[in-house]
Amino acid sequence: MPKLIIDDITVEVAEGTTVLEAAQAVDIPIPHFCWHPALGKAGACRACAVKMLEGPVKGIQMSCMLPVQDGMVVSTTDPEAVAMRRHIIEWLMINHPHDCPVCDEGGECQLQDFTIAAGHGIRRYSGKKRTHVNQDLGPFIQHEMNRCIQCYRCVRYYQEYAGGTDFGVMGSAGRVYFGRFQDGELESPFSGNLVDICPTGVFTDKTARFRARYWDYEMAPSVCSGCSLGCNTTPVARYRELLKITARKNEAVNGWFICDRGRFSNSAVNDPQRPRTPLVDGRESTRDEALEALALRIAETEQLYGTGSIAIVGSSRLALEAALLLPQLAQLTSAGALCYFTSEEERATTTSHLGLLSGGTSASQQEIRESDCIVVSGCDPLQDAPMLALAVRQAWRDGATVYVVGDGIVLPCEFTAVAAVDAVPLAAAKKPVLICSASCNSDHPAGLLVQHSQLKLAVIFPAANSYGAAQLAGEQGGVSLERAVASGKIKGIISVEADIPAHLLAGIPFVAALDWRMTETVRAAQIFLPTTAWVEMDGTSINNEGRAQRFKKVMNPGLPIRGLDPAGHPPHLHRTVPPGGEAQPAWQTLALLIERVSGEPVTEPFSGRWERLRGLDAGSEGVMIHDL
Amino acid sequence: MKILSDIAALVTGMWITWKHIFRRPVTIQYPEEKRTPYPRYRARIVLTRDPDGGERCVACQLCSGACPVDCITMQSAEDKDGRRYAEWFRINFSRCIFCGFCAEACPTLAIQMTPDFEICKRDIMDLVYEKEDLLIDGCGKSPDYNYYRHAGIGVTQPRGSGAEEKPPVDVRGLLP
Ligand code: SF4
Ligand code: SF4
Ligand code: SF4
Ligand code: SF4
Repeated sequence: MPKLIIDDITVEVAEGTTVLEAAQAVDIPIPHFCWHPALGKAGACRACAVKMLEGPVKGIQMSCMLPVQDGMVVSTTDPEAVAMRRHIIEWLMINHPHDCPVCDEGGECQLQDFTIAAGHGIRRYSGKKRTHVNQDLGPFIQHEMNRCIQCYRCVRYYQEYAGGTDFGVMGSAGRVYFGRFQDGELESPFSGNLVDICPTGVFTDKTARFRARYWDYEMAPSVCSGCSLGCNTTPVARYRELLKITARKNEAVNGWFICDRGRFSNSAVNDPQRPRTPLVDGRESTRDEALEALALRIAETEQLYGTGSIAIVGSSRLALEAALLLPQLAQLTSAGALCYFTSEEERATTTSHLGLLSGGTSASQQEIRESDCIVVSGCDPLQDAPMLALAVRQAWRDGATVYVVGDGIVLPCEFTAVAAVDAVPLAAAKKPVLICSASCNSDHPAGLLVQHSQLKLAVIFPAANSYGAAQLAGEQGGVSLERAVASGKIKGIISVEADIPAHLLAGIPFVAALDWRMTETVRAAQIFLPTTAWVEMDGTSINNEGRAQRFKKVMNPGLPIRGLDPAGHPPHLHRTVPPGGEAQPAWQTLALLIERVSGEPVTEPFSGRWERLRGLDAGSEGVMIHDL
Repeated sequence: MKILSDIAALVTGMWITWKHIFRRPVTIQYPEEKRTPYPRYRARIVLTRDPDGGERCVACQLCSGACPVDCITMQSAEDKDGRRYAEWFRINFSRCIFCGFCAEACPTLAIQMTPDFEICKRDIMDLVYEKEDLLIDGCGKSPDYNYYRHAGIGVTQPRGSGAEEKPPVDVRGLLP
C-alpha cells in the first residue's frame, strides 16, 4: 500500500486511490466539482489543485486525477495551489448569475461553499455573462442553465451511471448546454438524482420549489417505503409539511442514489384528506375515548359471537415495532386470527421466498453491483424495485453478463434473453446473483440454491416491510385474513395500517382501523385512531435482504401551517398540540390498548430476540436479522 | 502642605459643580419634547419596494438566518411570472433587538431599519408585525436598486437582457 504525506499527515491508502480521496480519508477537504465518489474522475473543473512538493511528480497537479504513489509529499495549503484554486473559482464565477437569493440550491450549494472557501467575494471581471434559455423538464425537475459550471457530472451520471439516453451535452466552447434535445419530461426513472448530483442550482426539485432554506430544514435519516429495497433517504420537512426527499448514502444498500418513485413520494404524507382525528361511529373524539370504546367493543364482540371472533390484522407496510406488538394484543383479546397478510396468495409466496433467504443467501444491492453474472427471472425490477435495475447496470458496466428470463422486461443495460434459468452458465460464475420476485411462484429458485452454493438471491417483495411481516407471520402462526374470514368465525377486525379489500369487510359487523392514510378500511371502520406516517416517527423496517434499518422522526404530525389561518400567515395563537397532531406511532397506540386490556404498561416494543434492535443506529448500514 | 492641597481639591470640585448648575440642561423632556434621530438610527424595520413598485423581498431567508434572536419568519412562494416573493413575512418586534443584521444580510435591500423607535404596545401580540404592517410604498434608502435587473432568472426582463448579460446563446450554432 502506497504511503504519502499530505499536509504533514502520513496517509496509507490502497493502490489506485487518488490523492483527493487519500486527503478525504484524513479529513483534509479539497474543493472539487467534477469528481464524485460514484462517478469517479473527469478532470473537468480544475478546482482540486494541490502542490506536489516531493516524490515522483512535482508541481501543481489535479488531486482527483492523480493516483497515489509511494513517497509523495502533498501540500493543499501551498500559496501556489491556493492561488490556482482561487483563480479557477473566479473563472467559474465569471458567467455565474447573481442568483443565490432566488436559487433553491442556496445554503446547500457546493459552488457557494467552495467560492467562499476560496476567498472569492468581489467580482473583478466587468464583461457580460453568457446566458441560456431553460427547458421544461417535466413536473419534478427545474432547469436553470445560467448557473452551470460545466463540471459534466449530470451527463456522466445520466448517461453512464443511469443509462439514460434523452439527456446530454450540446454546443461547443463556452456555450455548452446540458439538457434534452427539446423540452420534455426526463425519461429515466432515476432522473431525480440530477438534483443531488449537480453541484450548483441548475437542477432543483420542482416539487419543493421556493419553499425553504437549508438552515430551516427539519431533517433526519430515514428509509424509503416506496418498495421492499429500503433505500436510505433524508426527507426534508418544514412547518409540518414534507417538502422533498433526498438520497442518503448507504454503501451496502442504495449507494448514493434513489429512484424517482422514492424521491417524489411526498404527496401521500401531505395529502389534505389524511385522517387525523380519532373517530367513534363517525363522531370526532379524543384518543382516550376512542381507545375506551375500542376496548369495550372488543369485549362486546367476544361476548356476542364467542372468543376467537376478532381478527388482528397488520400489513407489510406496518413498521416492525407495531408488528411486534400484534401477537401480544391477539393473545390478550383471545383473537381468532393474527394476520399479517390479507391475501392468502401473498402470504404463501412471501413466506416461501423468505425461507430461501434465511441462510445468508440474500444479495444486497452492493453485492449485485459487484456481481459478475446476474439473472433476472420473471420479474421487472424497473417496475417493482427500481434501484435493483440501477445496481444491475453497475454490474454490467463492470463487465458482468446479464440474463433475463421472461418477456417484456426492460433493463437499463444490455442483456441476453434466455428461455429458462437452466440455460445460464451459473456454475462458471464467481459471484452470481438471481433476481426474482416474491409475487411470482412459477420459477421457484430453491433447487438452484442447492445446486449452486455461491448463488445469491435478491427477492423483490411486495412492500416495504414484507420481510418483517412474513418473518413474524411464520414465527407467530399468522394466517391470511382471507382464510380467517372464510372460516366464518371472524366478526370483528382490528386493522393496523392494513389495506383490506371491501369484499373481506362486507359481512363483518365490527371494524376498527389504525392508519395514517384514508383507505377503504378507514372509511368502513366504526372506530378509527390516527397513526403517524413514517416521517413522523422513529421506527424500523426490514428490507428485501432481511436488513433491519431504523428511520428517525423528521417532523411533528399535524396539519401543515400552510392553510391554517385564513389571513395566509400562521395563526397568532399559542397551543401545545398542533391541530390534527393527535396522531401517534401505531405501536404506541397499540401499547395503550394493551395496557387498557391487561393493566400492564408496555414501554418497549422490542423484546426477546429482537432486543438487539433497540439501539439500532439510523446512520449505520443496518443489521441483518438472521444474525440476531 | 497637605491641608492646602486638600482645600484646592475641594474648591476645584465645587467649582465644577457650580459651573454645571448654571449651564443649559441637556435633558430632553420626552415625550413632550421630541428629538429627530439620525437617518441611520436602527429602529422599526420596514420592507421596501423596488423603483418599479414591485416587492423587493424575494423571501431568500437570509435575514431570518442572520437574525440572532430568530424573530423573523417567512414563507417563500413563486408568483405567476416566476418571481420569488414572501407569501407571508413576520417580524416579532417584542423579540427584535434592532441589531440591524437583517438589513446588512439582505441582498435585495428590501429590509431596512427606520428611525421610528416608538413602537410600544399594551398587548405584546400587537408587536408581531405581518407583511402588511411591514411593507411600505417606497424604496427607502436605496432608490435605484432593483435586484431582478441583475438576477439571471429573468423576471422583470426577458432572459439574457438584464444588466451585465449577453443574449441567450444559440446552442445549435456551429460557429466557434
Ligand atoms: S448555484 Fe449556488 S452559487 Fe449559484 S446561484 Fe445557486 S446557490 Fe448561488
Ligand atoms: S448542469 Fe450541473 S452537473 Fe451538469 S455540468 Fe452544469 S453544473 Fe455540472
Ligand atoms: S428503489 Fe424502492 S426503496 Fe429504493 S428509492 Fe426507489 S422506491 Fe424507494
Ligand atoms: S434578506 Fe431581504 S430579500 Fe431576503 S428574505 Fe430578508 S428581507 Fe427578503
